[in-house]
Amino acid sequence: MSRAGSSLLLVACLLIGLGFSQEPSTRVPTVTMAPVGKVQVRAGGTANVELDFRIGSEFHINSNKPKSDLLIPTALKLNATEPVSVAGLKYPAGQDTSFPFAPNEKLSVYSGDFTITAVVKASAKAASGNYPVAGELRFQACDRSACYPPRSIPVKFEVAVVSR
Amino acid sequence: MLVAILAMLATGKYLDRTRHHGPSKMVGDVRGITAPNFDLATLDGRRVKLSDYRGKAVLLNFWATWCSPCKVEMPWFVDLQKKYGTDGLVILGVAMDDSEAPKIAQFASEMGVNYPVLLGTDKVSEAYGNVEVLPTSFYIDRDGKIVGKGTGLLGRSEIEESVRKALASPVAGMNNAQTSTADSKDAKAPAIAQ
Repeated sequence: MSRAGSSLLLVACLLIGLGFSQEPSTRVPTVTMAPVGKVQVRAGGTANVELDFRIGSEFHINSNKPKSDLLIPTALKLNATEPVSVAGLKYPAGQDTSFPFAPNEKLSVYSGDFTITAVVKASAKAASGNYPVAGELRFQACDRSACYPPRSIPVKFEVAVVSR
Repeated sequence: MLVAILAMLATGKYLDRTRHHGPSKMVGDVRGITAPNFDLATLDGRRVKLSDYRGKAVLLNFWATWCSPCKVEMPWFVDLQKKYGTDGLVILGVAMDDSEAPKIAQFASEMGVNYPVLLGTDKVSEAYGNVEVLPTSFYIDRDGKIVGKGTGLLGRSEIEESVRKALASPVAGMNNAQTSTADSKDAKAPAIAQ
C-alpha cells in the first residue's frame, strides 16, 4: 500500500473511532438564533425586532405559556442600554401537541422555527448612535422519550437611533 | 495495520470520555461497575447514602418535576416497589429540580410515590456520568454493582426485567436476607460529599 493510502486509512480509522464513541444519550438539544438585521428607530419612536430561533430537529421546547406550572416556559430576558429600552416581548402561541409519553395530553410547545418579537423604544431625547441590547433565551427541551435540563443561549443585537 | 486500527478505535473511546466528562468510568457500558456512593438529603431532611442499602437491589431513578416522560414511569415504580419490596427492592428517586423541596414533595405526594425521593446535586449527576437525559435509571444489585442502565422512557416490562436482574444477583460474602443499616459501616466507597 502506498504511503498516501496508508495515511488515508489511518485517518479513516480515527474518524471511525470517534464515530463509534458517540453515544445517543450524549446528544444535546440545540436552539440557535439567526443574525438580526439592521434595527433602526427614531428618537421617541418604537420598532419591532423579529428574533428568529431554530430548534434542533427531533426536539421541542415548552412554549412561553405551557399548560402546567411544573413545566419551564421559554423566556427571553433582554437588557437595553439607555436611551433604548425594551417596551415589550411578543411570543408566538405554542403548538398543542401530543407525544408518545402522554398520548392523551396536549402540551404547548415550539418546534422547528419560531419568532419572538421584541419591541424596542428610544427615548425622545435620545442621541443618534448605536446601542446594544443583550440578554438570553432560556428554554427546556425534550424529545419523544426524554427531557433535558434547562439551558440558555445568548441573544444580542444593536439598535441604531436616528434623530428626528 | 490491525494494531493501528485497534489503537485508533481505543483513541476514539478515550477522547469521547475526556471530551464530555473527564476520564470517568461511568460512560458507555456501565454494567459491572460499582455504583458510586452518595450522601443526599431526602425531602424530609434526612440524609441517605447508597451504602445504606447494601444487600438490597436498588433502582436509582434520576427525574425532575418538569420532565413529562418521568411522570409516566412513576406509577410503575410505585407498583414495582409494592410488588418487589419484600424481595429486597428499594427504589430511590433523585429529583434533579432547581425547585425547593416542598414543591417536589407536593408533586411526589400527588403521584402517590411510596419510595424515598432524594434531592439531586450536580456532584451526584457527575458521579453517575453527567446525567443530562431524564429519566435515567441505574439498576444496582445487592452487592452494589450496576447491572443495567435505562436512558429515556422505556417500557414497563423492560424496567421490570432489569429490576428482576438486580434482585437475582446474590450479594458477595453476605446472606441475601441480611441488609446493612443506615450507619453504612459496610460501605467500601466513601460517600460523595454533597
